[in-house]
Parts: sequence; C-alpha cells; structure tokens
Amino acid sequence: MSGGYKQQPGSGSGEVRKDGKRVAGKQSFGPPGSGGSRPEMKPRDLDFIPEMVGGNEKQPAGAHIHDRARTGTTVGKAIPLVDANAKVTGQAWYGDDVRLPNEIIGRIVRSPHHYAKVVSIDTSKAEALPGVIAVATGEDAPNKFGVLPVTKDEHAMAVEKVRHVGDLVACVAAVDEATAREAASLIEVEYEVLDSIHDMKKGLEDVDEPIHWRGKYHVGTTNVQKRVFQEFGDRSMVENPNAMYHGKWKYMGVNHGFTEPHAVVAHWDSNGRLQLYTPQQVPHYAHRALATVLDVPMHQINVIRTFVGGGFGGKSDPFPHEMCAAILSRKAGKPVRITFDREEVFWVNRGRHPSHIEVQMYADEEARISGFDIDALIDGGGFASFGHVTSYYNGVLATAPYELGSFHYTGARVWTNKPASGAMRGHGAVNTRCAVEVGLDDMSEQLGVDPIDLRLANLLPPHSRTISGFRITSNGMRQALQEVRKGSDWDNKFRKLPLGKGIGIGCGFFISGSGLPIHWDPNKFPHATVHIQIDMDGGVTVHTGAADIGQGSTTAVAQVVAEVLALPIEMIHVRSHESDTSPVDLGSYSSRVTFMNANAAIRAALEIKEKLLNAAWDTLGYHPDTLVLNDRRIYYKHDPAIGMSYLEALHKAQEDKGALISSGAYRSPPMGGVHKGAAAGLAPAYSFSAYVAEVEVDVETGMIKCTDVWAAHDCGKALNPLAVEGQIIGSCHMGLGQVLTEQMVYGRTGHLQNANLLDYKIPSVHEMPNVTPIIIESCDPEGPFGAKEAGEGPLLPILPAVVNAVYDAIGIRINDLPLTPDKVWAAIAKRMKVEGIDDPSELPVPRLDFSELQEKLAKRAAEHEIRDKKRQRSEDTNAYVNGVLFGFNPDIPLEDQVEGWKSADKPQPEQLAELGLAGKAWLKQEQRHMGGEN
Amino acid sequence: MVGDEYVSMIPAATSEVWSAEVNGQVREVLAPSNAILLDVLRDKTGCLGVKRGCDMGTCGCCTVMIDGQPRLSCLTMAQDANGSSITTVEGLADGAHLAPIQQCFAEHGGSQCGFCTPGFLVASQALLNTNSNPSDAEIACAIEGNLCRCTGYQQIIESIQAAAAIHRGEAESAQAASDAHPDPHPSGPEEPTMPPGHARGNHVWRLQTAAWKRFGRSPKRR
Repeated sequence: MSGGYKQQPGSGSGEVRKDGKRVAGKQSFGPPGSGGSRPEMKPRDLDFIPEMVGGNEKQPAGAHIHDRARTGTTVGKAIPLVDANAKVTGQAWYGDDVRLPNEIIGRIVRSPHHYAKVVSIDTSKAEALPGVIAVATGEDAPNKFGVLPVTKDEHAMAVEKVRHVGDLVACVAAVDEATAREAASLIEVEYEVLDSIHDMKKGLEDVDEPIHWRGKYHVGTTNVQKRVFQEFGDRSMVENPNAMYHGKWKYMGVNHGFTEPHAVVAHWDSNGRLQLYTPQQVPHYAHRALATVLDVPMHQINVIRTFVGGGFGGKSDPFPHEMCAAILSRKAGKPVRITFDREEVFWVNRGRHPSHIEVQMYADEEARISGFDIDALIDGGGFASFGHVTSYYNGVLATAPYELGSFHYTGARVWTNKPASGAMRGHGAVNTRCAVEVGLDDMSEQLGVDPIDLRLANLLPPHSRTISGFRITSNGMRQALQEVRKGSDWDNKFRKLPLGKGIGIGCGFFISGSGLPIHWDPNKFPHATVHIQIDMDGGVTVHTGAADIGQGSTTAVAQVVAEVLALPIEMIHVRSHESDTSPVDLGSYSSRVTFMNANAAIRAALEIKEKLLNAAWDTLGYHPDTLVLNDRRIYYKHDPAIGMSYLEALHKAQEDKGALISSGAYRSPPMGGVHKGAAAGLAPAYSFSAYVAEVEVDVETGMIKCTDVWAAHDCGKALNPLAVEGQIIGSCHMGLGQVLTEQMVYGRTGHLQNANLLDYKIPSVHEMPNVTPIIIESCDPEGPFGAKEAGEGPLLPILPAVVNAVYDAIGIRINDLPLTPDKVWAAIAKRMKVEGIDDPSELPVPRLDFSELQEKLAKRAAEHEIRDKKRQRSEDTNAYVNGVLFGFNPDIPLEDQVEGWKSADKPQPEQLAELGLAGKAWLKQEQRHMGGEN
Repeated sequence: MVGDEYVSMIPAATSEVWSAEVNGQVREVLAPSNAILLDVLRDKTGCLGVKRGCDMGTCGCCTVMIDGQPRLSCLTMAQDANGSSITTVEGLADGAHLAPIQQCFAEHGGSQCGFCTPGFLVASQALLNTNSNPSDAEIACAIEGNLCRCTGYQQIIESIQAAAAIHRGEAESAQAASDAHPDPHPSGPEEPTMPPGHARGNHVWRLQTAAWKRFGRSPKRR
C-alpha cells in the first residue's frame, strides 16, 4: 500500500509522515490570505466560470441568472459525496444502528387474513410473559393519518378492520427480540373474515363492504379510490388516422428493493418530548402524522432522520410502525426499537402500482401525433398512500415531450386487499411512458420512418406549453436523442441487426419538483427554506430539511453554498437530520430537492455574501460590484493585491452583530391551468431523457440479456457529474429490473409469494449492461445554476427502449411486463405457429423501408432544431403552445380559433358508452356516504 | 402469568462464551448458543457497520471476512466462527487512514446510500488480498453475492479497479488510478473461475443448514 490516504476528503498535499501516510486529522488548508497576493492562494478556476462572466465554461444555452454567483469552486466538478467517508468506514448510522441506553425491542403483530373484521384482541397472555414491557393495539391510537391530507385512511394499528395480509393489528415491546417475538405470537386476535378482492378489475364493481369509505362521497359502493377524466384538444383530429397504435398493457407491481429494511427508534425524553429516529425520505410528513396520531403538538416531537439506506419513494409515507414505536415507548417509558424483517418490508410495500393500461395513439398524414387516448387502471392495494397523485400522473405525464393534437385520459385507482402501492422512482409516469414510447415505435413502422426522426419532428420546443398547460422551460430532448443516436451508431444498427439482436429507443419526461406543496398554500409559504449560520471560526453551518437518501442532496446543498461563498467544501457543514434545527422541508420526493433546496441555499448564501462584501467595502473602500471572492479571500477585481481574507471580512461583518445568519427560501412561480387536477404534474421545470438499449434475445429459451445502454439525460446543469452519472446508471438498473425480472407475485388466493430478495429478482452485477451515461446540459433558467432533476427521470426510458429492442430482435411485441423468459418463449412459440415454422431461428426479423415521409420528417426536424436553438437562447421569445405544429396561432386562445377544441375534466353523457376499462369508474354515480367517516 | 400448559416456542438457549479476534482485538462476550454471527457482531461487539438487509443470505450487506474469506454473517452461526479472526468494514482502515478500497469507493461514486457498501468493501477487499490485478469479470464474480440498488454496480467496479491499481503500486492516488488504468483487462476471460471464499458459494450450503437453526428468524414465521 502506498501513502496518500486521508480520513478527510479534499486535496492531497499536506503534512506527510515518514511512512508516507498523511497525519490523521490534518487537512490541507493553507492559511487564509491576509491582504497581499499570497503564493498559496489558488487561482480562480476559469474552466468552471461561465463565459458570460469572463470564464472559459461554454454556455450554448445562453446566460443564467446565477452566473454572477459562480466562483469556480465546486459546481460542475465531480466530487465525492460529503458523507461518503461515513459510509465507507461503517460509521453511517441507519435506523437500526441507533442504540439508546435501556432500549427495548418492539415487534408487530400482523394480520394473517386478506380482509377481516377484528372482533377482539386478547393481550393478557402476552402481557403476562416475563420480559414483556408494553403492549398496544389500535384502541391506543384511533386517529387517522395519511401522507396526503385529502386521503387520510390509515391507522397506527387496525381499528375495526384489517385490509391486507401483514396489516398491523397490535404491537409489543420486550427486553429482547426473542421475547418480543414470543409475545407477539401470544396475542390472540379473533377475526371475522370478509370477502377479499385481489383483482383490480373487481375493484370497479359494487360490493357490500368497500375496503374504505371514501369520505363524504363514494363512487357507488365500489372500491374506487380515485377516478380521473381529462380531455384536451380537438377530438376530431383522430378521425381517419394515417397510422394508429392500440396496445393493452399489463404491469406487475414492483417493490423499491432498497437494501435497508425499515427501522425506527422512539424515545420520550426527560421533558416528555418525543425523539423519533427514523430513516425517512419525508420527515416532515411523518412529523405531522405523529402529531395527529399521538395527540401531541408538533413542537413536542423531534423527528431525527437517520442515514437512509435507500428510499426510491418507499420511505416517504408516514408509517404505522413509527406510530407503534412511539406508542410503545410512551407506555414503557423506555426507548423502543423496531426493525423489520425483509418480509415485512414487502408488506408495507408502497411500490409501483400493478396496472392495466390501454393506449391508443394516432398519427396524421404528416406524421404529426394527432391524439393520445390513455386508460389506466391501477391497483392501489389496501391504502391510499400517494395514490391520489399517481392516478393523475399515469396520464398527464404523457402529455410531453411531444406536441399532441388531442389528449384523452381516463384513470382509476382501486383499493384491493394487497399491500398498499404508492410512490416509486418515476412516480406514476413509468408504466404509461413505456406504453406510449412503444406505440410511437409501432407507428413509425407503419409510417415507414425512423422512430428517432418521428420523435425529433414532433418535439415541443423549449419555453412552451403542453396541451394540459404545463410550462416547459429548458428542454434538452432533441440533443439527448441526437447524442444517443450518434453514440449507439443507431443508423447502422436499427432494423439491420440479425435475429436475436436488437436495438431500441425510448424517451422520458419527468417533473423536477412538484409545483404545489401538498400541505399548504404555495402563495403563502415557500417550498423549501435553508438557513446559514457562520460564527467566528468561519465554518459555515447550513440547516436544511432536505433528506439525503443517498442521492447526494446534502452534497448538492454544500456545493452550492461553497460555490457562492468561494470556500472549500470542507468548511460547509450541512445539518439536516433533526426537525428541531432544520427548517421545514417537504422532503425527498418528486425529484424536488436539488431544484428547490439548492435554490433556497443559493439565496441564503447570496445574503451572506452581500454582508461579507459590504464589510470588505468598509475596509477596502471598493464597491462590492468590483470585488471578487476566491478561495477564502476577497479582493479588488483590477488589483488582486488589494484585498482581505475571508476571516477578516467575516469578523468585520460580525462586529456589533455576532454570528452571520441568513435564511433563503424557494417558491415556484404561479403556473398551470384552472381545470380540476391542473396542479398534478405541474413543476417549475421538467427533465428529459432518451435511451438506446441493445439486447440479445435467445430465441430458443426466451432469455433476454441487455448488453449496452446509451443513456442521455437532460439534467439542466450537472452540479456534480459523478452523482448525476451514478443516478443515471442506478436508474437503468432499477428500470431494467422492472422490464426484465422484477415482479411482486400474488398467488391464486391473493397471497404474496415472493416477499424476499431471493424470489424477488433484483438484477445482480451479472445482469447489468454496459451503460454509457451522457449528460445533457440545457441550463434551466430557474434551476440552481441551471440544474434540474436527475434522480427519477432517467428511469423512464429504459423500459420502452428494451421492449422496442426486443421487437427489433425477434419481431414480437410483448405488452406484459416483466419480460420473463417464459412469456417471451410463449410469444415466440405462438408466432412460430402463426408463421408455420418449426425452428425459432427462422423467425422473420423486422426490416424497415423508408417511405417518402421520412425525408419530410428529417426536413421538419432540421427546421425545428433551428427553432429550438433560437428559443433556448431566448432569441425567439414568441409564445409557443401545443398546437402550433398543427397550424394554430399561439397568441389566440385555442378554444377561440379551433372549433371543437376543449378542455374537460368530466365525461359527457354521450362519452360514457365508449370509455375504457378504468373509465368504467365514471359509470357509477357519486353518492353521499352516511357512514360518518371523515 | 402464562398458564402451565404454555410451552415456549423459543427453545432455551444457554449463553456461552464466544471469543474471536474482531478487527485485530480479541473479544470475549457471552452470546446465546444459537446466535448468528451477525447478531453477535452488531449487538455484542459494537460492529454496527455490519448491516442486516435480508436475513437469508441474498443481499450480502452482512459480509465479513472470517480468516480472510468473505462470509455472510447472517448465515454463519456465531459458534462456528468461535476462535476465528474476523474483519468487518470497521477493520479495513489503518487507524484514521482509509484503505485504498474505501477511498476509491468514496471518490468514484461506489457508494450512494451506503447501506450495501460495507458488504461490498469487505468482499472486494478479500478479492484484492488474493488478486491485485482482477479483470472486470473476476470482480463481477467476487461481488455477485452483493445487491446494490443505487449504483447499478458500474461505479462500484470502477472503484475496485482503481483500488486494485493502488494495490499494484501503479497509482498514487485514487483519482490518478482511474485516469491511468481505466481497465487492465478490457476483454476479460470468457468463463471466470469462482474465486476462493466467494460469498454465494458459501451461502448455498449454509442456507439449508445454519439459517433456520436460529428459531424466530425464519421469514416464514411471525
């Protein structure tokens, strides 16, 4: 082993021991500059300063409002996560690693029935077992909670009914785990079993005993939790299409598969305040729910987010076991720790919804997309969770990046007696996106054009509006498509590879932050707040509520603060674990953290910067506009010898006032339409991605191996390219799992059969293709230094890319994910029968003959490229709304210029007859439910 | 009190002295005779860096080195490791100085949420101890028993290659290693042999023997 390793991150030079190793605890901080141009002062890194403000960083997308805040310190550089050292040394403390003195172990009693009334619970035997300290049941906490204020339908433990196998019934706490398990088995529960529902189609039917009552109004007496109808545009456009795709898709449920099982530690401290340690993506919602369930004001609860061992949406709901731990701890007077088995993780679930999705797509004679009809029936499982939003996302997130003539969406989410589905990476958008992208592939074949050119000729430009009223700002879709086309050598491979080898394209579109906060009025309160505090030592403490779940949000916040203040990142200390010290933040979901928290952090840092520069102005006599910040020094722009150190300026600024403190907030601008559900899918920015996947299909076994992926993602600006690439490759991994191997298998009787990581097939290192991440920087005008999300969007395109590649390889489209070998082989066998061949190696492979449309499309795409570049650089500032491609005037409301252009959120009576599967939910009348709940 | 007819479902396990050299320190603790190594390491010796992910040898988060071989501590009875020398993730660093593998995981993005990282670090360190010039295929075989949900493995393999370069003395720092030696074996052997002490090979037989010995840990029971 050679020397040079250090405990601390940062640059390498420094004091060196005789054996070549660096001395522990020493960092390579030179003394701060003290007035002259000292030799140890680093020159400004002009390669990371935008050209608009005198640096060398190219800005093809034009200037950005944060350009002047750039100091070339960290933004755009591949740096390790600031908490990476804790993770590689085993010091990172996850949920189960919180060990408090005198802790006891909690265990949860779970329902063995799919659906049953709880008649009685006898806890006397468990309480009598030596070593048992507390027992709690649903009666201890009857208040309802839920992640969304509109759908609070969960209890800490079953009150009246259990709704799926594994639903919580009671809990116990004992001196050790063995005793707790024993006590849990001694709790006797009497159930009255009810008829359970496992098929989501049955959820649309009237039943005697719906799994929940929907609040005041219920859809018939069905199990429909939410129904959505949305229609935009001119429906007459879809008549007489030139090409049409109709696909009925089936998707299995998918679990997040994070490696850390849920764990929670609850402790009521000596002042009677609850200290709750939990690996939460969204600590603030847990905070609210705990206050409701425990009947304790929020200020008497401190939610401490531990390190999170993977979230992906699966740790974003407030969970009943968190309430259980708090209730047990309150009863026992001791800290209670509850850690899940892997099986329990699957019972809590909140994974991707099993779905039936029907898509009809139409293209007109000029290969414009004249309409999308989407019908999505999604299986919500036993609880609402984020489902209210998911029901919308399944439709509305398909309205871009293409320009549509019309859009028609019906969606329904039903309750069934399964573990609840919820939010998972790519929330709601993934399944529909897959169907839509495969549809485009199919239509391009009918039209005789290249699928990439079909896309390129139908893209919405930057600074435009989608058909449903979403405001698109920066848009790197075109560049992403061009990059993957080039990188994958697409033109020489597509429809030219031999049988068994294929190549396919898929695109993605995702929100970068949800435009409306769930719990409050966005016009009054900000989405994100960041506090910065600097005391005499010069270290910067940043308080944020952003939950780092491994995606690197802490690093992103530290990076932008370091960038603005021109300090080494080692001087930035982000405190984000405790709700006591962190400003309220909505947490890590909807890919909002980098966009919103980094924006808030920039604002807070700029306030500090202003104070420092004013102090330097007092001392140096030069106006702040002429002062430059660089590596712990402030100096006069035209003579770097005139300046002062950061510490000197800081101490000057602190005179009479003490520590410098600032607060920055981010609020999204007013956006969106006024129709019902207009807020769903609304975001201050959107990310775009395009993937090309290459697969090998063994035609004799149906086995698919994905070999290469070219993954281009438009993240606006990569604050940390290392982290962005990690997100892209990781998204590929998770998406590949869903398209090839992962599924939650429910047996004939509705029992979950693969609630473990042996039978639930997460791709291992051998299944991973060679991924080439390509970062596209479109520089979002409102993003922090131009950044957008990179965490969820990159997952979307991998599914359709693989499905399309499989078609390219064997000429068969399979609409039933995952594409396991049995399904693929069955499809091959069926095809062989149809073709009348015995040997699968004789299967016909699709080949493409370009029609005359191809040239037209390529020409249109080239014209649009010029248009997009102008719009991106704000050289063309005319309004652009969806519909201009069809010849409409963007300055006149479309309703006024096109007869038949409409926007509807309810079906008209004459439409009821032609609704799809999920649309059938609209056949039921809403009726007032007199049950009195909610 | 529980009635006379009550028979405990948990067999009485006597506490026995368990002693092993954990990260260079001889530790003697009292542990139930039916304890698994993972529980003893986490609860008795304070090695909280050993993670519990699945309880059945599928995720590899609990990988530790027993006498230099990577083993899954959730499928190893503590008594089977009695008297052995155990290295966990906490034992990889030399005091405050990170091992090359740790440094490279940090600098190459091999760790995102970090929960699987201890297992990966131990498994790959065990590989590097015997083979400082592994091909990508050999690395893949060494870490195939470990699941990572965040990184998609690609940056993990890059990290291990960078650390291998340092082990060979070809690179001074992790950053330099990645630039100078992106991939020493671009093609790699066709059929890699299973390296010794390879984690999944361990779990196949232990799955049937040791795993369900410990009552109350079976995921089929609740």
